[in-house]
Amino acid sequence: MRAYFKIEFLQFMSNKKNIAIYVILLFFSCYYALKTAPEYDPIEKVDEYEIEARYLTREEFLNNVVINNWTHPLTVFAATIYPQWNEYDKKRLDAIRQHNMKEYAESTSKWYSYADEMTLKNGYLYYNPRYYTYENTYATWDGHYAYLYSASRYEGYTEGESDLSINVFEERTALQTLQRLLHSYLPLILIVSCMFFTVDVVLKDRRNTTLLQGLPLSDWRKLLVKGGVSLLGSLLAIIPLSVGLFIIGARNGLGDFELPVPIYLASEKLFSNITIGQYVMQNLLFIVFWFLFFISLILLVSIVIKNEFANLLVGSVFVIAEFMYYARGIGAIRDVHWYPTSYIQTGQIIAGYRNFLYSTDALTFGTGLFVIGLCVCVFLFIMFLISRRRKFRLF
Amino acid sequence: MSVWKILKTFFILEKSNKKNIFACIVVATFVFGLIFFVKTEDLGNSLKEKSGEYQSISVALNKFQNVDASDKGNGSDLYKNIVLQQQYISKQKMAVRMGLSEVYVETAIDVVDLRLKAFDMEGYDKVANNLPSKTEIQLESAFFQYIKKAGMPLSVDSLSFFPFLAYLFGMLGSIWFVFMSIYSCGIMIEDFRHTSLIKGYPITFDKYVIAKCISSMLLVGVFILELIVCSLPLIYFKELGNPLYPIAIFNGTFDVYPIYKYIGVAILYMISISIFTILLSIILNVLLKNMYLTLFMELLLFIFPLLFPSMMNFIPFNPFNYLNFSSVLNGQTLDLANPIALNSTYGLMYIWISIVVMIVAVKSFLTTGKLQKV
Repeated sequence: MRAYFKIEFLQFMSNKKNIAIYVILLFFSCYYALKTAPEYDPIEKVDEYEIEARYLTREEFLNNVVINNWTHPLTVFAATIYPQWNEYDKKRLDAIRQHNMKEYAESTSKWYSYADEMTLKNGYLYYNPRYYTYENTYATWDGHYAYLYSASRYEGYTEGESDLSINVFEERTALQTLQRLLHSYLPLILIVSCMFFTVDVVLKDRRNTTLLQGLPLSDWRKLLVKGGVSLLGSLLAIIPLSVGLFIIGARNGLGDFELPVPIYLASEKLFSNITIGQYVMQNLLFIVFWFLFFISLILLVSIVIKNEFANLLVGSVFVIAEFMYYARGIGAIRDVHWYPTSYIQTGQIIAGYRNFLYSTDALTFGTGLFVIGLCVCVFLFIMFLISRRRKFRLF
Repeated sequence: MSVWKILKTFFILEKSNKKNIFACIVVATFVFGLIFFVKTEDLGNSLKEKSGEYQSISVALNKFQNVDASDKGNGSDLYKNIVLQQQYISKQKMAVRMGLSEVYVETAIDVVDLRLKAFDMEGYDKVANNLPSKTEIQLESAFFQYIKKAGMPLSVDSLSFFPFLAYLFGMLGSIWFVFMSIYSCGIMIEDFRHTSLIKGYPITFDKYVIAKCISSMLLVGVFILELIVCSLPLIYFKELGNPLYPIAIFNGTFDVYPIYKYIGVAILYMISISIFTILLSIILNVLLKNMYLTLFMELLLFIFPLLFPSMMNFIPFNPFNYLNFSSVLNGQTLDLANPIALNSTYGLMYIWISIVVMIVAVKSFLTTGKLQKV
C-alpha cells in the first residue's frame, strides 16, 4: 500500500494540471502581497486628523453651550454624552502623539464601547459613514458589530504582551493579514484548489487500465490511497501561499501569534478574544475537514458518473450552494446549521460572523465539524458499498 | 506554397486540439460572467456611484472640525471646497432621481472644477485618499465637457451592446497578455517531443514558425469574434446602445473617443499583443524548453513594471509597459509617485518594433539544428 501511495503521489506531483495550480497560487499570493495588501484600507483606522476634528468640534460645542429650561432636548442630550466621549478622544489623541501604543489601545477600546452604546441606543448618531453604503439596510448593525469588534480587539491589545504598532492596530501585519484572509476568500480558494487537485485522481487511470488492474490491491484501498494523496497535495498548496505571507511579513512585520482575534458569541451578543494562533489552528482543522468532504465527494462522483466534468460540476455546486439560500437573517426561520454548505466560510464561522449574518447562534465550530464529518462518513460508506459490488470496476 | 501546406496540417491538428475548445469555453464564460457581474454589481447606476462619492466626501469631512463653511466663515479653503462638493453631489443625486440630465451634467462640471481647484489647496494630502485622483478628474472633465458640447443625452444602461463591449474590451485590456501567455506558453513544446518529425518537414524553421504564428493568430481572431458574438444577446435583451457615445481616454492629452473608436483601438492592441506574446513564447520555448518556465518568465516580465513603477520612467520604450493597454488609456501611470505619460500610439509602435526584432531574431538565430528532444 505504501508503494502504491508513493506511485500515486509521484504521479500527482508530476501532473501538469497540478503544477499549474501550484504556480497560479504562487503567482496570486505574490501579487496579493505586493499589490493588493498595501492598498488595504480599513474603515476603523488610526487617524489622528479624524480624532482631532471630532474632539475640537465637540469641545467647542461644550464650551459654548448654554443649558436652561428652553434648551432643545437634543442639545441637552449632546451636552450630557459628549464630555465623557471627549475625554476618551483626548486620551487617544495624546497617546498617539506621544506614540504611547498601550495607552492608545486602552482608551480606544473604551471609546468604541462608549460610542457603540451611545449610537445604537438612539437614532440621532451615526457610525462611521463608510458603513452606510448604497441600499445597505443593515448599516447600523454592521457598524454596531464593527465597533464592538474593535472594542474587544483593542482590549485584547491592552491585556496582551505583544508589541504594538500602527500596523498591528490596522491589522496589516502578516499574521493579521492571514486572519483577515481566512475571514474572507482564502478558505474558498483552498477548497477550490483541492477540488481541482482531486478531479482527475481516479479517472486518469483510464489511460492505462490493463496495467493497473494487475495491482494486488482492492479497489476500496486504491480509493483510500488516492484520497490520501489528494489530501496531502491539497495541504501542500499552503506552501506557495505562504510565500506571500513572508513578503508581507518582511514589509509590515510578521505580527505575533498571541495577538487577539475577537469572537462573536451569538447567544450572549458579546465578543471575547482568542489568540491568532488558536484561530489559525481551528481554521486549519476546519479546512482539513472540508478537504476530506470534497475529496470523498469527488471520489464518489468519480466512481458513479465517471466523468471529470461531472466531478467539477458537482463540486462547484457544493462550493456555491450557500449563495443560493443565503439571505441575511434567514437563520432565524430556517435550520441552516444542518446544511454543510453553510460552513464553507470557515473563518467567519469561527469568528461568529456567520452567526451574526444569519441571526442564529447554531453555526458553531463544533456543529460544523460534526455535520461535515457526518457527510464524509456517509460518502465513504456509500463508496465502500459500491466498491464491494461484484460487477464494480474502478475506471 | 510550402507555408500553405504546413498551415493545412496545423489546421487539422488545431481543429481537434482540446486546448482550443477549452480556451473558447473560458472566453465565453468570461463574457457571460462579466455580464452577470455588471448586472449584480449594478454598474453604471449613477445613483449608486453618487452615493459612494457622497460617502467618501463624508469621510473626508470627518477630518475637519465642524465650522462655518460659508464664504465669510472661518473654515479653511479646502474645508469650504469639500463642503461645496458635497452639496453638488447631493444636487446630482437629486438630478438623477428627477431625470434632469442637463442639471446633472452642469453640476458634474462644477464638481470637476471644484476638485481641480482643491488640488492646490493647503492640507490636501490628508483627504487625498478619499477623493478621486487628478487623472480621474481630468478624464471626467473631458467627458462631461464633450457631452455638454455635443448636447448628448446621458446614457445610463451599461448593459446595452456597445457600452458593454467597451467595458468588456477595457477589462480584457488588463488581462489579455496573461490569457495569451497561458494560451501560448506551450506552443512549441508539443512539437519538441517529436523533433525528428519537425526536422523532417520539407520547410525551413522560420517558415515553420511563421505558419505556427498564423494558425495561432487565426484562433485569436476566433476568440475576438467570439467575444462580440457572445455579447450579441444583449441587443435582444437590452438595446444596441449608441456607438458614438464618448469614452474619456488619455493619449498624451485628455480626450474622448467614441465607443467604436475605443473598441477599434482595443482590438488593434489585442492583435498586436497576441502576435507579440506568441513570438515571445516561441523564443522562450526554444531557449528554456519548458512550458512552465516560459509562462513564469512571461508573467514576471509583465508584472515587473507594475511592481517597480519607477522603471517605467527609466525605460519608457519597454513594450511591457504598454501591455496593460486599458490602464495606458486610463492614464493610470500619471498617478504614480513618479508620474509618466504613456502614450498609447507610441505603445503600439514599441510593441511592433519588438515584434520585428523578435521576427529577425527567430529568422537569424533559431534553426532546427538547435532543437533537442525534451
